Amino acid sequence: MRVIEAEALSKNFRVKHKEKGMRGSIRAVFHPQTEEIRAVDRVSFGVEEGEVLAFIGPNGAGKSTTIKMLTGILYPDGGRVEVLGIDPVKKRKQLAYQIGTVFGQKEQLWTHLTPYDNFCFFGAIYDLSGREAERRIAELTEIFELSDFINTPVRSLSLGQRIRCEIVASLIHKPRVLFLDEPTIGLDPVVKENIRLLIRQMNKELHTTIFLTSHDIGDIEKLCRRIVIVNSGQIVMDDSMEHLKYHYLNRKIVEVKLQEETALPKTEGITILKQKGSRVRLEVDTSVIKINDALRSIDAEHVEDINISNIPLENIIMEIYKSEGRGAVQ
Amino acid sequence: MLTAVRNQLRVCALSVKYNIMREMLNKVTFVTNVLFMMFNNATFIVQWVILLRLRDDVGGYTMREVMLLWGLAASSFGLSRILFARVFSLPELIINGKLDSYLVQPKNVLLSVMTSGTNTSAIGDLLYGLLLLCIFCFSVKRLLLFLLFTVTGAGIMTAFALLAGSLSFWFVRSELFASHMVGSMTSFSTYPDGIFKGAARFLLYNVIPVGMMIYHPVHIMIAFDAAKLFTVLGYLVLLSALAVFVFYRGLRRYTSSSLMAARM
Repeated sequence: MRVIEAEALSKNFRVKHKEKGMRGSIRAVFHPQTEEIRAVDRVSFGVEEGEVLAFIGPNGAGKSTTIKMLTGILYPDGGRVEVLGIDPVKKRKQLAYQIGTVFGQKEQLWTHLTPYDNFCFFGAIYDLSGREAERRIAELTEIFELSDFINTPVRSLSLGQRIRCEIVASLIHKPRVLFLDEPTIGLDPVVKENIRLLIRQMNKELHTTIFLTSHDIGDIEKLCRRIVIVNSGQIVMDDSMEHLKYHYLNRKIVEVKLQEETALPKTEGITILKQKGSRVRLEVDTSVIKINDALRSIDAEHVEDINISNIPLENIIMEIYKSEGRGAVQ
Repeated sequence: MLTAVRNQLRVCALSVKYNIMREMLNKVTFVTNVLFMMFNNATFIVQWVILLRLRDDVGGYTMREVMLLWGLAASSFGLSRILFARVFSLPELIINGKLDSYLVQPKNVLLSVMTSGTNTSAIGDLLYGLLLLCIFCFSVKRLLLFLLFTVTGAGIMTAFALLAGSLSFWFVRSELFASHMVGSMTSFSTYPDGIFKGAARFLLYNVIPVGMMIYHPVHIMIAFDAAKLFTVLGYLVLLSALAVFVFYRGLRRYTSSSLMAARM
């Protein structure tokens, strides 16, 4: 069952332009100039129930604008959108009961209150009775391991603890779809990993659909089964992670340490990325040359140490941003 | 429907409660804020005492009416800022995209925004107004009318601030205009309406609604007039409806933002 459906979704922003300096400011008073920017340009996609989707793109690509239209924060200028069969524009409140949102850059919690008081407040917002809220808070406190700081004012918590509380606050009403906009921004690797673990657990146990935007490749790689890449307001790629890796991970990075400094022969499909003394870093295009043929060309007898790895997903995504940015490919 | 209203009121009440709890975090600051606001307001009495020793009345107002005027202005202003303080910073919320967290909640956006902040010193204003009434012109009937007009005055002031603040959905830097409009309403509400003639008087009864917020109520408390009472109530309903309509029309133009923000 599809829980999110967007069809030709568009959003434009009118941006004022001003020439530089004082003269520009004065001219702007009498001759204001504006430009219409297409933040989201006829974007169409669907999300199945229980899916974990990464919606990624460079800054200004239209990710947050799309999320804001899906959650009813922004009104679309064109197209159609439905979340759980509800139009966010017409029935924002009805939809809000069924979705949760976490904006990594915007806190929803009251900083002077304890997480417990905050959760009670959110319980009231979602019309939970006192007893229901209590039960839910106890449940989430255990899952998210909040007991050590549930009675400490939010302003005294670490960033990681706060984000955990933000997520719990957005889960208090058992949402069917959770929108996470850069939930791990500014967190250290250990806390990031914990948050990812909790998100995975939530998806697995509660079957919550997760719609994630993040610049952190770790989030995407470890959480998502499907990836949608947007650039300049358009979808440039919509594929499963498995497919993405299969199609784009045809290039391997081979790092070798030779017994002595040797000039390597030029072979089609092998690019020398770096050579320093006897250490060489190569990129092997496996669609041109098989990896064992590539190793043969290096002369394996003289190899002291070797490491073969995939091209980092980050590089692949960067290449997609650059190559597909000009035209939309779905 | 009734359950929805009850739940909405429960959230608003919790919001106000948490706001006051936040302000009371530092008890000394809280108490001094309240007391100093009362003291600050009281300094203006001296001016009026001196002035009314030189003249019998100013614009038809004697000391009793002036104190009634001051009391009602302070109480209305105070109640509005205790319950709906955030409405006065609405332009900032709109411009910096801080309405997002209210828009994802299944509650009335406007009420949630308005009740999400409070102003401690406004408690001083509210108490000061009541104190003036009790000291200078107390009667049970007047107290009841005073309480009613404190509510209508706070309503008119809030609706006017909402209307002026909502212009930020359309115009950049209109927060200055909104701030001047609300500021002028506060300033004019502490002078007798008798001193204003012609265009100024027209403005005060039509454009800046001080007439409906303060002057008519003061006249009613001095000499009861049912027609004026209904005019004030009707005006409150109309202005509130207009302000809510403009806010929701503007909300369609809300552009949010990517600025980092915390709920303080």
